[in-house]
Amino acid sequence: MDMKAWLHEQLTADKRRALPILSFPSIQLLGITVRELISDSDLQARGMCEVAKRCPAAAAVSMMDLSVEAECFGSQIRVSDDEVPTVVGSVVNSMEDAQALKVPQVGAGRTGVYVEAISKALKLITDRPVFAGVIGPYSLAGRLMDMTQIMMNCYDEPEMVHTTLEKATDFILAYIQAYKDAGAHGVVIAEPAAGLLSPDLCEEFSSPYVKKIVDAVQDDQFLVIYHNCGNAAARMVPQLLEIGASGYHFGNAVSMEEVLEQMPGDVLTMGNLDPVSVFRSGTPEQVRTDTLELLKRCTPHKNFLISSGCDIPPASSWENIDAFFAAVEEFYQ
Amino acid sequence: MSILTDISENLQRGKAKVVKELVQQAIDEGVPAQQILDEGLLSGMSVVGEKFKNNEVFVPEVLVAARAMNMGAALLKPLLAESGMKASGRVCIGTVKGDLHDIGKNLVKMMMEGKGIEVIDLGTDVAPETFIKTAVEQDCQIIACSALLTTTMGVMGEVVKAAEAANIRDHVKIMVGGAPVTEAFCEQIGADCYTADAASAADAAVELCK
Repeated sequence: MDMKAWLHEQLTADKRRALPILSFPSIQLLGITVRELISDSDLQARGMCEVAKRCPAAAAVSMMDLSVEAECFGSQIRVSDDEVPTVVGSVVNSMEDAQALKVPQVGAGRTGVYVEAISKALKLITDRPVFAGVIGPYSLAGRLMDMTQIMMNCYDEPEMVHTTLEKATDFILAYIQAYKDAGAHGVVIAEPAAGLLSPDLCEEFSSPYVKKIVDAVQDDQFLVIYHNCGNAAARMVPQLLEIGASGYHFGNAVSMEEVLEQMPGDVLTMGNLDPVSVFRSGTPEQVRTDTLELLKRCTPHKNFLISSGCDIPPASSWENIDAFFAAVEEFYQ
Repeated sequence: MSILTDISENLQRGKAKVVKELVQQAIDEGVPAQQILDEGLLSGMSVVGEKFKNNEVFVPEVLVAARAMNMGAALLKPLLAESGMKASGRVCIGTVKGDLHDIGKNLVKMMMEGKGIEVIDLGTDVAPETFIKTAVEQDCQIIACSALLTTTMGVMGEVVKAAEAANIRDHVKIMVGGAPVTEAFCEQIGADCYTADAASAADAAVELCK
């Protein structure tokens, strides 16, 4: 698929389609649990296909399961039936740990399942691009080191953080390459932890590593969408643009207009309906109102594509999700 | 520059070792412990809290500043105890049962300590009965509950109900926070206070402890 043409269409079409981070609610359509979904490539592909059949989205996206990569590196995870898995504890507690950390092979843990799921989804979904999902380097390093600890280590042990980041980057690069080889049309790199950093720290500990990945994998057939839902993201737009991603996806902690005012007109910019208070806890009427209101505020910016601010929680009601797509259609009628 | 200003400014830069040395120097020079705490450590942390609220500093800067404060405060603790000084309040804090995310809880804890409040950290995955038992046994004025997951925030309602069952609602306030939590949710479960960020949580706790 010519992804540059797809990108051009998203930037220029009068009638836009939404691109929410929508995958985990497929468990309701399949009548399964998150526990079952995250370890079965058939279920993942079928889930993505069911979502695509029901929702007129601009692309299909894979699960934003930010425990997969850390699990490969040896982290313990906690899995539940109705919530996205969580990483427990830390595996990098010293410079020695960072130096000894082995970069796993792609296919280790559940990464093989996720890559296989994309191959299978590509056979089932043929009317739109299929994006894989991976974690960003700083967010992965934070899961390996403990999120509170890495924040302090940026000041105390910067070399230890960089050593861990280099290994995280090597793995993520190989992981994305495996998705690319499987035929994915792009990848969403989720780097939420970088959104908690100051612009200066982001420039030192996240952006160069993400840029390295983007430079290595992005081309006309394979696009990178960068996701950062941290509350400091609006302050670091210039740093984020240096990454060179084709699309940027922001969370509900920032003002979408403030972000859009800083984004060049030819860079696809997505966000930012609250996935929890709107999609998970809201009513269909609230979803409609908030969707129309966000579209009204942001549509003057031609590069805006409406989305959820982060991944839509597994137990979000399909009435709300349907109301979102209906409101988008209503707006562009 | 007075030594207290020096302490405050180094704390704001997260220079824990320097803060510790300066606090010791101030003690040795005979500056009262309470004054070192108020005009050096807490004053510095208050600046950090304001800047955090205004997006002028971010999570890492708050964490290193709070650690510097704690290192200085550790030297003052025995002196303050000797002089009979008490913290401005006592809070038990934790991430609710089923939830292991703790960076938000850690930030709130540090911000509260920065306001002179004693904070008992119960960690993550904390059962409602543990919050209640601690509040009763440690005579806390506030129970502070954190959650990141939509599936665990409901446990906060169980904490409120457990507090009612234990007959402590007349003297123990319940604060709630975390990414999925809202003011409406706080009202719905009958908690006393919701704040959107860690610095505001600390300010609210000071008011609730009065």
